[in-house]
Amino acid sequence: MTSTGESLVERNPNSRVMFRSLFEADLIALKGNRRSLILSIVLPLIILLTTSSHKAQQSLGGTLLIIGLAITYGLMSTSMLGYALNVARDRDKGVFQRLRVTPAPTWMIMTSRLGVQVIANLIISLVVVIIGASIHHLTLTPGQYALVIAVSIIGGAVFLSIGQALVGLLRSPDTVNAAGRVIFIALALLGIVGLNGALGSAVESASRWSPTGTFMTLFSGVLNLARWSNTDSLSLLACMIYILVFAGIGIRWFSWAVE
Amino acid sequence: MTQPREQNTLQILEIKDISVAYGTKTAVDGVSLQILRGEIFGLLGPNGAGKTSLLSAVEGLVKPIAGEVIVDGTDIRDNPALVKSKMGVQLQATSFHSQLSIKQLIKLYAGLYGVRMVPSEITAKLDEIGLVDAVSKPFKELSGGQQQRLSLLIATIHNPNLLLLDEPTTGLDPQSRRQLWGRIERIRKAGGSILLTTHSMEEAQTVCDRVAIIDHGKIVSCETPKNLIEKHKEDEKVKEVARGAVTLEDVFIGLTGGEIRD
Repeated sequence: MTSTGESLVERNPNSRVMFRSLFEADLIALKGNRRSLILSIVLPLIILLTTSSHKAQQSLGGTLLIIGLAITYGLMSTSMLGYALNVARDRDKGVFQRLRVTPAPTWMIMTSRLGVQVIANLIISLVVVIIGASIHHLTLTPGQYALVIAVSIIGGAVFLSIGQALVGLLRSPDTVNAAGRVIFIALALLGIVGLNGALGSAVESASRWSPTGTFMTLFSGVLNLARWSNTDSLSLLACMIYILVFAGIGIRWFSWAVE
Repeated sequence: MTQPREQNTLQILEIKDISVAYGTKTAVDGVSLQILRGEIFGLLGPNGAGKTSLLSAVEGLVKPIAGEVIVDGTDIRDNPALVKSKMGVQLQATSFHSQLSIKQLIKLYAGLYGVRMVPSEITAKLDEIGLVDAVSKPFKELSGGQQQRLSLLIATIHNPNLLLLDEPTTGLDPQSRRQLWGRIERIRKAGGSILLTTHSMEEAQTVCDRVAIIDHGKIVSCETPKNLIEKHKEDEKVKEVARGAVTLEDVFIGLTGGEIRD
């Protein structure tokens, strides 16, 4: 690193220093957006509190599935509404254009953004699991917490990749916001109504293999490893496919330029 | 690793036959320019003439369909990071992370250019531009003139070899404009070269060593402001629009036409 005031530039800046600067800035921005982070935790908490009765637990498939559902909604809201909208707004305002004229490569700018969002996802998941386990009188081992973190990273990546696909395919922040809400509602309904079979077996099956359904299945699978089944393995595979497909779309069609 | 090309030590920037297109629309059509070390070069043109597109190609924001951009002997395609580290850029409409304070923004951009700045250095820099009291404010809370001063400070935080300024004085009051000209002159004295776009003929005449007039994506003329007037003062179209002694603005309108562009 050079000190300020030195003469004109002769070499590339250090990549590690560049990434650390970007990551710190994105972390500060995340802290500045803590209201949005808190809101992403409020919805899962409402789910946990309103489903603490025995009847609710039975109709929603048990405690583990309820906690999975709560985490899913938290990750969906922060990734598909929060992340996607922030990226669309920053692109629209020219924040990315300003960064792109610096020596930082575009992959570094995006990795920093995604990295910070992964941290937000982990915070949401851990808070929801800890509170969920307390409300539903569930005792988790350190190993189970580690698995929760691992699965949350996968689930967060599924919804982040959907968010990335949204900002890749749509340019205007208003359109990203509107489309994000519609998809959020559709996936949320698939999670609550579709999975309990109330809308018939076809919808139940579609729900089971939707991003919401596969993540919830995976989540309850890791919290009950003794009963790990083929369905859980296929859910893991489905999650990976969702990540690859949506992230591929989001990266391939992402435009850095202001509309 | 790519070796620097055979270098013309007098030139800091060489643009060779650059063409930029958006779909079927050609914005820049085979433009060639050279900016010399220590030179302040102005790019003039009506709206939509291709100024910002040409600058964007130099900045690496758009990929030209043809041509080369060589900064200090390095082609931007060979080593974009090195070329970008040698350039300071102030975009036409600058926006920074809205949650970051001025101090945090300076730290971010210093880091991106590999410049280490301790808090006292940041304070000293902000003092130079009269923003030391606004250190904790976010960018959006600054006035237009303050935003412009901060943008220029960030663009020059690494003492770039080449500074690119896209319409830097648009929207500034006369005092702020004069201050900016003073800063540009100081940057040149410190060894920097400047390429700026402007709509202000006064600015071009006062600040620039040479100017190029661009229209419909092509360079129409490139000279010192004085020579440009001398060269074109007898043109029929220039004489038609002149009211008294021929000015740079008369030459500009004579060469690019009087119709309003959007």
